[in-house]
Amino acid sequence: MSNIWPREDFSRLQYRLYHDPEIYEQEHDKVFRGPTWSVLCLEAEIKNAGDFVVTHVGQIPIVVTRTKTGHVSAFVNRCAHRGAEIVREPYGNSPDFTCIYHAWCYSEDGDLLGVPFRRGANGKGGMPADFDLRQHGLTKLRVSVWKGIVFGTFSESVEPIEEYIGELMREHLGEIFNRPLRVLGYQRQRVNANWKLYLENVRDAYHGSLLHEFNRTFGLSRLTQVSGAYMDDKFRHSLLFQYAGSDNTAEARAAYAMDQVQRSEYLTLNDSDIIRFVKENPRGVTTRIVSLFPNAVVNQIYNCLALRKVRLYGPNEFEIIFTLFGYEDDDDAMTAHRVNQSNMVGPAGLISMEDAEALELVQRSTARDQAKYGVVEMGGVGPIKNLDTRVNEQPIRGFYSFYSQLMAAGQGGAQ
Amino acid sequence: MTAVMNDKQRIENFILRSAFLIDNNQLDDWMACFDENSRYVVIPRENRDRNLPGALMHCDNKARLTDRIACLREANKINPHFDRHIISGSLISEIVDRVASVKTSFLVVQTNLYGDSKLFCAGCYEDKIALLDDDEKIVERYVVVDTFSVPTMLATPL
Repeated sequence: MSNIWPREDFSRLQYRLYHDPEIYEQEHDKVFRGPTWSVLCLEAEIKNAGDFVVTHVGQIPIVVTRTKTGHVSAFVNRCAHRGAEIVREPYGNSPDFTCIYHAWCYSEDGDLLGVPFRRGANGKGGMPADFDLRQHGLTKLRVSVWKGIVFGTFSESVEPIEEYIGELMREHLGEIFNRPLRVLGYQRQRVNANWKLYLENVRDAYHGSLLHEFNRTFGLSRLTQVSGAYMDDKFRHSLLFQYAGSDNTAEARAAYAMDQVQRSEYLTLNDSDIIRFVKENPRGVTTRIVSLFPNAVVNQIYNCLALRKVRLYGPNEFEIIFTLFGYEDDDDAMTAHRVNQSNMVGPAGLISMEDAEALELVQRSTARDQAKYGVVEMGGVGPIKNLDTRVNEQPIRGFYSFYSQLMAAGQGGAQ
Repeated sequence: MTAVMNDKQRIENFILRSAFLIDNNQLDDWMACFDENSRYVVIPRENRDRNLPGALMHCDNKARLTDRIACLREANKINPHFDRHIISGSLISEIVDRVASVKTSFLVVQTNLYGDSKLFCAGCYEDKIALLDDDEKIVERYVVVDTFSVPTMLATPL
């Protein structure tokens, strides 16, 4: 990793970052097992005692459970005996978990409860007399729940969750996660590209109205609007935001035409409910994309709310899992409105469908010449800054400034 | 085709015809297969099984379906490809007031512009189809997607 950064301000990104299997291995030790908190799920997905969901931290399979005493527990979904995946259903309710291979049984907290024929049969076989169940539980994560979001970490040294999220993201997420949630459904999108390209994409304020013509056409996101891209003080998380209606459509279209982005007629809608914004937050912000290092994004696009998590499959493949949600106190009309606006996100999203294609184009064409690099200079080079514009790629540089610190550190991360 | 078809033949022929319209990129003709008061929803099987309303495409009325196709044509930048629907026979559960409730399994194979074909989607059409005197119309179509970890993107309707 020593010479992977051609410039100190991360304005050059070597293609090797997206392909190198060694980097991918190190990311699991230093990023996902490093001093970071990953989003595991929403509390609303595990409301009742015994509820569980399967999730992933990087490529590491995780089970999250709601225990009898009401706390949230998380452990690696891998039997301590031979390494088999224990929980095979993506969600459910169970008081304990038994591996099908040799029926070793674990508690809702991942403690080993029982080993069949531990004492042998007919006086023969069995485990050694000193085999201690307590030494063979499942690998546990530390869990913190903040405003209904369940976070997990392998690190003993990472700061407490509130500090990790930081003041700015707490403020914005706090406006979204301000009352009990209701999960509306899931969307999953499989992408043949490196996971970091997606983390870049959600920090790339510049592409939103260029790649996504729906945004540009209907003014959900335009570079001419009141907007910006902010980060926390370590640049690891980011907030892209937008105020629809803060520019003039005719002038905005003239600006895009002048830059030769679009000359043709703009589309109109027969049913404009999909772009109807019901103001739900005090500042009236219409679009917010909050990225939480290393694995999650929360989107508010008008009234469409979703948590997005990345699940890794290898250096060249990942999945985006969208958890669509509203609130328990939404009436039927509001739920229907959110479901209608969810047409904008996911693999068939009128806004977001294009992202995966763009990332795959990068992945395919960069497989050779991995010492060459992409250029990230929109919004300026040098010191990384928050800017009140989306003509700006600074949060991508921010992401890599934090990532590079973790990757440069010894086993267990930067701290 | 001059032979008089029975209801099952009419339904299967209609579903097959509508699938060919997608594969041939005749999406205006495909939309004409839908009644003016119709619903088209593409929903992951995991949501359907859990009774969750969230979908991949959710068009509660025909105006929304028309808008989605217009966006696909004029705004979205999609992965260049051809679709090929493989359609099973149709299982008719009932016909009430000349509206048939029908389930039909399908596979969609997607081929890129370099001739590389991949299974894109396995799923089931859960349809309500009006059998009119001289035509058939889809009143409601739930496309239940088994392959709900969608490869790259779902741009063209299923």
